[in-house]
Amino acid sequence: MTALVLAQVSRWFGNVVAVNDVTMTIGPGVTGLLGPNGAGKSTLIHMMAGFLAPSSGTVTLDGDPVWRNEQIYRRIGLVPEREAMYDVVSGWEFVLANARLHGLPDPQEAARRALATVEMTPAQDRDITTYSKGMKQRIKMATALVHDPPVLLLDEPFNGMDPRQRLQLIDLLHAMGEQGRVVLFSSHILEEVERLAGSIQVMVAGRHAASGDFREIRRLMTERPHQYTVRSSDDRSLAALIIADASTSGVELSVAGPDAGAGHVGGTAAAGLHVQATDYARFIRLLPQVAAGHGIRLYDVVPADESLESVFSYLVAR
Amino acid sequence: MTANAATPANPGAPGAPGAPQTGAIHDIGYRHYDGARLGRGYIVRSLYLDSLRGGFGLGRSAKSKVVPLLLLAAMCLPALVIAIVAAATKATSLPGGYHAYVLNLEVLVAIYVAALAPASVSRDLRFRFISLYLSRPLRRSDYVFAKFTGLASAVFVVLAAPLTILFVGALLAKLPLADQIRGYLAALAGAVVFALVLAGIGLVIAAVTPRRGLGIAAIISVLIVLIGVSGAAQSIANERGADTAAGYFGLISPFSLVQGLQTWLLDQENPLPAGPPGTVGGLVFAGVTVVLVAGCYGLLLLRYRKVSVS
Amino acid sequence: MRTRRNRYDLRVPLLTTTALTRTFGPVTAVSELTLAIEPGVVGLIGANGAGKSTLIKMLLGLLPATSGSATVLDLDVATRGEAIRERVGYMPEHDCLPPDVSATEVVVHLAKMSGLPTTAARERAADTLRHVGLYEERYRPIGGYSTGMRQRVKLAQALVHDPRLVLLDEPTNGLDPAGRDEMLGLIRRIGVDFGISVLVSSHLLGELERVCDHVVVIDGGRLLRSTSTADVTSASGVLVAEVDERADDVTALLVGAQLTARVSGRTIEITFAGDDTYDHVRDAVAQLGVGLVRMERRRHHMAEMFTGPDAGQAGEKQ
Repeated sequence: MTALVLAQVSRWFGNVVAVNDVTMTIGPGVTGLLGPNGAGKSTLIHMMAGFLAPSSGTVTLDGDPVWRNEQIYRRIGLVPEREAMYDVVSGWEFVLANARLHGLPDPQEAARRALATVEMTPAQDRDITTYSKGMKQRIKMATALVHDPPVLLLDEPFNGMDPRQRLQLIDLLHAMGEQGRVVLFSSHILEEVERLAGSIQVMVAGRHAASGDFREIRRLMTERPHQYTVRSSDDRSLAALIIADASTSGVELSVAGPDAGAGHVGGTAAAGLHVQATDYARFIRLLPQVAAGHGIRLYDVVPADESLESVFSYLVAR
Repeated sequence: MTANAATPANPGAPGAPGAPQTGAIHDIGYRHYDGARLGRGYIVRSLYLDSLRGGFGLGRSAKSKVVPLLLLAAMCLPALVIAIVAAATKATSLPGGYHAYVLNLEVLVAIYVAALAPASVSRDLRFRFISLYLSRPLRRSDYVFAKFTGLASAVFVVLAAPLTILFVGALLAKLPLADQIRGYLAALAGAVVFALVLAGIGLVIAAVTPRRGLGIAAIISVLIVLIGVSGAAQSIANERGADTAAGYFGLISPFSLVQGLQTWLLDQENPLPAGPPGTVGGLVFAGVTVVLVAGCYGLLLLRYRKVSVS
Repeated sequence: MRTRRNRYDLRVPLLTTTALTRTFGPVTAVSELTLAIEPGVVGLIGANGAGKSTLIKMLLGLLPATSGSATVLDLDVATRGEAIRERVGYMPEHDCLPPDVSATEVVVHLAKMSGLPTTAARERAADTLRHVGLYEERYRPIGGYSTGMRQRVKLAQALVHDPRLVLLDEPTNGLDPAGRDEMLGLIRRIGVDFGISVLVSSHLLGELERVCDHVVVIDGGRLLRSTSTADVTSASGVLVAEVDERADDVTALLVGAQLTARVSGRTIEITFAGDDTYDHVRDAVAQLGVGLVRMERRRHHMAEMFTGPDAGQAGEKQ
């Protein structure tokens, strides 16, 4: 099973420590690398791709070191964030050149396949200067895929894409993940990561803050009470029943604000009960039981802080 | 909802007997604006004043005041000296006179234009600040107008200040009034034309070189080269006795161009190696001046037509 | 509690276009666009690159249409461009702030450029900067600002002259999740508390779901959908429940109660059959003594417009 392993990796530039003692294993499937701006995600990805040496620690792919190892480039494809490309050629020529540079046995076929995978075949003969941002991104992806690497690293790939392009890329990466490739992408757009990543790695100020499934991470954050939003047929009575129990440290009743307008999912303008549950397991059992016992109908029971966004803000704030 | 309770009748008097204690939380939320919205005229005037003041670094950081104010001082210093000398020695006329003053200090003036034209327009272009103007009721042509007249006015101030010092000095030296007024006003008229021509050249070059350093270098190079070539060409022609050619070579440099025009139009002494040859020459000089100013203005309009809001 | 300062004049449509078209030689940037939008917070999706910036220029009266017409705030873009720009604020997507002046200077200057007399310009600049959340930093040169602060300055200059409509072009670009959150909150406040209509363009559907009342989807210069947010995020016919253990047993109980239910990954999907469905779930969970982690009606997402059965159909659906 392919795995990219980072062991106590640090990277500094003078006094600036961009990556600080990071240990992680990236396996097959799609992993999201999350973090605020300047958290070190780009630096980390470039170290994983062998473009940057770690100042300390090791980066290995299936046991082989990644730095200064030309053979490794056969197994890794990198889609960098910056757009620098030779503008004077067409998409086809650019990808073909890359295929040749890799020394592939049949560069034409590889280029053809790569372009088809990113759905750029119709536009492949046009000059790269005529491409939109999304198309340039796809050409970059094609060059990263042309040698069919088992590892694909993408630095902020969704930047500037419109919803359709975004969904296509999500589907593509998902498919790659299903094929057993190791796919890692960085982003600070949580909604894509939520949709696509099987597991996440969170970086904050160069430190590795969390890894795994974000819901599980949330459950591990036992220091913070779980926040729940509950809507029922009798919020007030339910509130009284809930606060009577030791599993809850706080209950807030909110009536609809002026902004409870059409179609607003989420946001504090929602009416209902906001519960702070200190004993999660006990609360989730208590709720249906007291509601059933008192004939209160439950409409919504939603963990308010389980979204990737809230997990993320919690981790960033530590 | 707002809660603006009435304040007690005597808010400064604590414990005033019988006065009810009231408090109020005032509404400091978003307020709409129902006041005056002045039209394009006001806006253009505002931008003009802003550009004019920018010509001396006013309304900007302290650093940007250094160069223009130093240059202004440098322009005025010789005038001050001349005025003092004239007053002290009770001279019968101002040494040098008004009409040649600008020409004599042409290098300083060129430096001023080179420094301030980019400060006026390059920044808006380089950082695309101009989008924020274009999304307002201001037209592109208004913007060009305000910037052009603003810089021209600033250059005029730089030229008129020393001339005025000379005039005051002449008055204090009790020189014949009528002559002095005539000379002063003629020089001022010349300063206006100088200002228009130089602002035009400076702004056109600045508008196509958005990096400020490059703009400064480009303008100063262009002006110095033109001055040099014109001067050399005129001298050589003069030595060879080709008077007409020498006259026309004055068209090369904007300074000798306007100076030549002044000489012809206002019948002044000619400080140049050669002046516009005859009436035809004079008309040519006038024509070139007009075309130059109009052409620069037109080029500016064209340049800004390419700029867009997004 | 503050009531809604509704300045929307609901008799006046915010924006209408009739077969609006703009071509540049062989390239069509906007094609036969026909829209009618009411005041409120409106999202513009999918318009990428040429199409979006062309549309903005036309709406500001800065670019004539090749054919068709448009009105903004009931003013014809072809003849009343200046009047439109007096009443509209624009926040560009690109960087547009010089580094050597302070936020206050910029906003005061631009207030005057919108026709405000000097005193009013100063007062409104100060107030607007406070509303967008810039305090002491407003006196420092913009060169030292973070991306979030710069976006706020751009927003402040769009609001300072009290427009009736603001055009926000990708306002959350470059912001990290916390900054994004704040900006979205601000946008909602502008629409609801300040009573100013907003047209916000974004690629991120999640954001638009949170913030907009109405959404316009443009694809390749053509109108794809124009719909209220409520319509595309309405509750679907599926009730989703998540329990912490014995999901199969819960499902069995529900099926026994004549409901269609199946386990799918972590959740139980139940076909909604009237409000009684809620009670059945509650009772089944209570009876088995397991914990109810979540229960909510699944809502549609805007993303379905791009992937659903009627994706790609041009035309207007209200």
